Amino acid sequence: MSREPVDTRRVDAREKVTGAALYATDLHPDQVAHAVLATATVGRGRITELDVSAAAAVPGVLLVLTHLDRLDLQSPGFIMGGGYGVQSMQPLLDDRIAYRGQAIAMVVAETLTAATEAANLVHAAYEQEPFAVTLDSPGVERLSQPAAIPLPFLADLDVGDAESAYAAAALRVDATYDQPAQHQNPMELIGATVFWRGDTLVVHEGTQNAGAIRNGLARQLGIDAANVEVISPYTGGGFGQKNSLQIHIAPLALAARRLGRPVKLVVSRTQLFHHTSFRPASRHRIRLGADEHGRMLAAIHEVEHQTSRHDLFPLMYTEITSRMYGVRDFRGRQTFARMDTQSPGFMRAPFEQPAAFAFESAVDELAYAAHRDPLEFRLANDTTVDPISGEPFSSRHLAQCLRRGAKRFGWSARQQRPASMRADDGSLVGWGVAVGAYPGSIVPSAAHLVAGADGRIRVEVDGHEMGQGIRSTIAILVAENLGVGVHRIDIVIGDTRVAAQHLTAGSWGTASTLGAVQAALRALREQLGADATGPVDLAAAVRATGRDHVEVRAETLGPGQTEQDIERARRGHPALSGPEFPGYSTFSWIAHFVEVRVEPSTCRIRVPRVVSVADCGRVASPVTAASQVRGGIVWGIGASLREAGEVDPRYGGFLNASLEEYPVPVNADIGTLDVDFIGEPDLRFSPVGVKGLGEVSMVGVAAAVANAVFHATGVRHRRLPIRIEDVLAGASPPA
Amino acid sequence: MRPFAYTKVETLAEAVDALVAAGPQARLLAGGTTLYDLMKLEIETPPAVVDVHRVADLAGFDTSGDRELVFGAGARMADVAEDGRLRRDYPALSESLWRAASQQLRNMATLGGNLLQRTRCPYFRGGEPFACNKRRPGSGCAAREGLDRSHALFGGSEACIAVYPGDWATALVAFDAEVDVLGPGGARSLPLVRLHREPGDTPQHEHTLEPGEIILRVRVPATPAGRGSAYLKIRDRESYAFAVVSAAVALTLDGDGRVDECRIAVGGVATRPWRVPAAEQALRGNEITEASARAAGEAAFADARPGRDNAFKIELGTRTVADAVRLAGSRAVA
Ligand SMILES: Cc1cc2nc3c(=O)[nH]c(=O)nc-3n(C[C@H](O)[C@H](O)[C@H](O)COP(=O)(O)OP(=O)(O)OC[C@H]3O[C@@H](n4cnc5c(N)ncnc54)[C@H](O)[C@@H]3O)c2cc1C
Ligand code: SF4
Repeated sequence: MSREPVDTRRVDAREKVTGAALYATDLHPDQVAHAVLATATVGRGRITELDVSAAAAVPGVLLVLTHLDRLDLQSPGFIMGGGYGVQSMQPLLDDRIAYRGQAIAMVVAETLTAATEAANLVHAAYEQEPFAVTLDSPGVERLSQPAAIPLPFLADLDVGDAESAYAAAALRVDATYDQPAQHQNPMELIGATVFWRGDTLVVHEGTQNAGAIRNGLARQLGIDAANVEVISPYTGGGFGQKNSLQIHIAPLALAARRLGRPVKLVVSRTQLFHHTSFRPASRHRIRLGADEHGRMLAAIHEVEHQTSRHDLFPLMYTEITSRMYGVRDFRGRQTFARMDTQSPGFMRAPFEQPAAFAFESAVDELAYAAHRDPLEFRLANDTTVDPISGEPFSSRHLAQCLRRGAKRFGWSARQQRPASMRADDGSLVGWGVAVGAYPGSIVPSAAHLVAGADGRIRVEVDGHEMGQGIRSTIAILVAENLGVGVHRIDIVIGDTRVAAQHLTAGSWGTASTLGAVQAALRALREQLGADATGPVDLAAAVRATGRDHVEVRAETLGPGQTEQDIERARRGHPALSGPEFPGYSTFSWIAHFVEVRVEPSTCRIRVPRVVSVADCGRVASPVTAASQVRGGIVWGIGASLREAGEVDPRYGGFLNASLEEYPVPVNADIGTLDVDFIGEPDLRFSPVGVKGLGEVSMVGVAAAVANAVFHATGVRHRRLPIRIEDVLAGASPPA
Repeated sequence: MRPFAYTKVETLAEAVDALVAAGPQARLLAGGTTLYDLMKLEIETPPAVVDVHRVADLAGFDTSGDRELVFGAGARMADVAEDGRLRRDYPALSESLWRAASQQLRNMATLGGNLLQRTRCPYFRGGEPFACNKRRPGSGCAAREGLDRSHALFGGSEACIAVYPGDWATALVAFDAEVDVLGPGGARSLPLVRLHREPGDTPQHEHTLEPGEIILRVRVPATPAGRGSAYLKIRDRESYAFAVVSAAVALTLDGDGRVDECRIAVGGVATRPWRVPAAEQALRGNEITEASARAAGEAAFADARPGRDNAFKIELGTRTVADAVRLAGSRAVA
């Protein structure tokens, strides 16, 4: 049997480019009505008066839902607190306002125009209460994480005696770094199309976690999860914002039931900044100690980050900073700062991006204190064992990432002294390096394969396509395994009708999903009586069984996981294992090399080139993998030079709640991105040899940029984003 | 968005009649890139809109005249920005257009609408709950004690410090442009510098057009300083952003290499298009050197009145003017 060549391009590229791929709110079911939210204008307080008469009088308005309707809804619970929701606080249930921008009414009308007009006519009066919205605001409540949530995986890390080792160190760095709140802003807005088919609730929504939506809605509405179908074949970017049940879905379901019609809601870009999760602001004090030769001896990472009054979004910053180098004595302290916002949550490399910015900036400061080249300093402090567990890493090719990246970048031509390199046009040139890590996790996963006598194969599996390319990755695995063409493979993901569809995030999607598909392929080969490897003539093999199709199922677990974890996953809860597994721990690694040019007069920072080399195990899909890393670098450039949620403490919420005022990078901001992979399979971690990639790609970019700016100018910037005025303030006065 | 009456007109006479008939709250609609945006935000809620985008007499532009350049109010930003003669003979005017907005917006947006675009002050555009005298007269100004990084150093008042954001008008004011308008009382002309008002006590009134008046065209007196001109725009990213600071400079050099004719305006920092005669005076008669360019920049910002977060624009603006002077100077020689 001959093997059909494997087409490694994105399998859904044509649909996406031509618009044939239908996203959740592209659907226009018959009779669909449109919902729009009205939102609170005060930072915190109570609604004393709510007048919807003008809204209700707008022609075409069908329904206005507010807390006065005594909606029969339970809290979904917070996704990180044993529940399913983006936050535990479900708006529209009582008169309390927890943050500016909170939904106070949902207006449903025949047209989007009527609903929008009416939503603006909802009138509320409030009794206001004092509120806090920044880390520096009075009224912020601070809680030590281990005291607030005494769970082992959130405990403070204490290895050795970091305080004493630090105090005794010959070289020391003690610096504080600030990460602002940031907003994911996926291209596809948050939204859903919802309707009832008899007693069954059907939800179309772009999500990373159809399972949480299903189970969370069951809890909120008091119905059986079997009566909820969530369908999400495509998600237009999630980046963590779409990892749980959004707060508008349950009210939409009630509206659809009352009206007996489908209802659709698209949350506007402006409302998105207050409607759903965001990256919390965080502050990191890093203390590093080294001996006189520059051997790192002690690291202390104390961090606080913002969370809401109603939920504790956990801090997991020290997980990677404790593993980047062979530091014997490590101490981590993580503290909540509760304030009056919606609950923050995961945004691409949620903890690792800010942690690496702080830590890798401090490492650069230490390298300079030791008069050592920052690349060579990092290599000299590399480790092969996990300093926290004392056990080996399942794979760590970080030194190789650094060496290969340095070569591609031409690092050897670098001059150590800051502000010593210039371009032909007079710009200051800075070269910076930083590394990143991201914990490897595996979640339970279920796959169902149906091979037909027509030679086609259908793959139904846990997983969500958020644009990261998981559909292509699955197709390539199946195509390579069976020797069938990608065009003969049908893939169903993000659909609770075929699998539990728990959360796809944390870069565990590929390793977990592919593991299940691989196990199912093995089962299929057995069923078909095929050899364990080599191409299979599917049509013939199926026909030989005398049936028109053959189906198999497989469920896979992460190391150390049990049936219980599968059960958790079925109920829509995240059930992850890692990064510490029996006998080893797993991380993905990356090294970034960045060149910046700082215009001498107006101090604009440009990033003409970046070289990044990743260790993500086997590269499961070359096209989408490189694309993931390029996207991660662009995110890192945005994080370091552009993006911040601006807060006016007098008003609460975020001020720059639009893509005009919240600047993300544009094409003109991005220069050459050169991406490479080590490509060594990690078979200890995963039977398919892959580790995560989507998140690690961003980790360390901001530090590499900041380190490059330091190298260009001689001034260290410890607060993101680094803007013109920051560089200008440190620039030498004109001659 | 609120419901509104929509009328499409084909001629200028129809446009004036329709505007008068619709009353003082009515708005002209050209490309809609400002007006529809503000209507969606419900910051503007005109009961009636008169669409002039098909009025032939507003379209077109002519950059070939010896005495003046003529730009129809209905000409599209993209078409004008790409005009070969303009790029060669008046690079500052072309640059002020193509460095604005995005290609898609420039394809829609007109030169007349561009002049009357409104501030990007986030408290103005953010609607409730922000105090804003421009949006709701008498409610106060949230920016004054707030985040004022994007606010004005020049021309502000107790009531309002919102920046006039347009690049095109900033360049035009350096060239002594004139504006022709037509209204119920007939046609008239005014210098562009008198089209926009400073906020004073009434920031809601941004321009000096009478109800029912339409901008017909902008005329720019021809000048050899056009060749030696530059529009330098410093933004928070490389493209598709309003100016943090900008400078329009146009000059000629005499036989000794000294600055003869000199025109300088700054953008992103003032409540209306802002010419800086003091900077022109500082430069005139001097050779262009690091020092003289810097001195022009310093003169431009000598009277700046910064707030909390925008003081850096004094140094940034000074350097931007200096860079623009040097760039214009190199073009004047070439
Ligand atoms: C995202 C974005 C980014 C932008 N970036 C920039 C930038 O960087 N720099 C910049 O300069 N601009 C920028 N702009 C503004 C843009 O240039 C203006 O919106 C555009 O030029 C307005 O032209 P228009 O034809 O669309 O006007 P419209 O929106 O149709 O009208 C605007 C106003 O002018 C009035 N008007 C229109 N024509 C006439 C006339 N003939 N006579 C009298 N009144 C008239 C209208 O009544 C209305 O009040 C940006 C806009 C957007 C949306
Ligand atoms: S600066 Fe002007 S536009 Fe901005 S808030 Fe104050 S009054 Fe309103």
